[in-house]
Amino acid sequence: MKALRRGLIVAVIAVLVGGFVKLRGKGGVPPTSGGWRELDGPDFR
Amino acid sequence: MATVLLDGVGAVGIRAARQLVDTPGLDSLLIAARGFSYADDVAASLGARAEAIELRPEDPVPTGVDAIATALPAALVADRATRALAAGVPFASTVDDADAIDTLLELDEPARNAGVLLAAGCGLAPGLADVLARHAADGLDAVDEIHVARAGSAGPASTAAVRRSRREPAAEWCDGEWSEERHPTPELVWFPDPVGARECVPVTVGVALLVRAFPGVRRATVRLAEPLSRRLTWPGRRGVDEGWGSARVEVWGWRGQARESMVYGVIDRTAIAAGTVLAVTAARLAGIAPGLAARDGPSAGTHGLAALVEPVPFLAELARRGVKAAVFEGVAVA
Repeated sequence: MKALRRGLIVAVIAVLVGGFVKLRGKGGVPPTSGGWRELDGPDFR
Repeated sequence: MATVLLDGVGAVGIRAARQLVDTPGLDSLLIAARGFSYADDVAASLGARAEAIELRPEDPVPTGVDAIATALPAALVADRATRALAAGVPFASTVDDADAIDTLLELDEPARNAGVLLAAGCGLAPGLADVLARHAADGLDAVDEIHVARAGSAGPASTAAVRRSRREPAAEWCDGEWSEERHPTPELVWFPDPVGARECVPVTVGVALLVRAFPGVRRATVRLAEPLSRRLTWPGRRGVDEGWGSARVEVWGWRGQARESMVYGVIDRTAIAAGTVLAVTAARLAGIAPGLAARDGPSAGTHGLAALVEPVPFLAELARRGVKAAVFEGVAVA
């Protein structure tokens, strides 16, 4: 039981540290609306 | 009719070779590689117009060559460019290493004196990204910021160059001055799917070419994503997007009184995109692509693609060959 509790604590800490490391960068600008459109004929005239 | 010498047939070079032999007006494609037997195998697979040659680093450029395309590791590029310069033959390279590009830029004055064009950075970014930046800039009255990001690499040499660039201090152009970031901050960049969001860090490679091509730009940055093989990915994702590469170009400027941004992107297999850009550039330098009008500007010296090509016909030619750019249509936030 004690080992299980320790394991859970370690897992929680790992998730928190991982999340912090992952999120430490500056956020870019998320494309919340719109999307990518391939350039085709009319764009090349 | 023209003859092009292709030096290096790795992941990118072999794609460029295929694109070049399919280019109307090409008389002969000479292929040089580290091992002659490999170059011979590649040439044999490409048909009658391709021919393998033995070309040691100290050998002069063979006579009759109209343009040289290289897809070589960074350490070899300067020597090849010097050789091209000595022979008076225009030269294009996919090099994506900051030091190697600096070396090519040091050849600018000799190249101007000799009347020879040296095209530095003819891959995905630098390369196609520069053309997209020019395309965006042509839609604006004035440009003040250019931000390029790239995910993906083509072959081991390119992957090593990306990792080296990400480790080194980054230089960016800020308010008309170079600014060095010793510990650059990562930033999430949204590339077109399937690459999606990637954490990118500022790097030096390619910034100088942008600054030279856009003299009035206030800020220019280039960011690179970590190559996938060393990056922790979600289970199942690695198989989906391995080999894909993407470039995203965000340009800010003025149209009349309004400040606007334009965002272009491209996604393809990195080696295919880079190889196609190299081939089309070499065709343009060899004069066998009459539709690819040269941009009014430098006819000699070292330049990036933003200064050398008209973006619309260049992008149309790439699209015809299957490498298609895209525009982001959405709400941009400053």
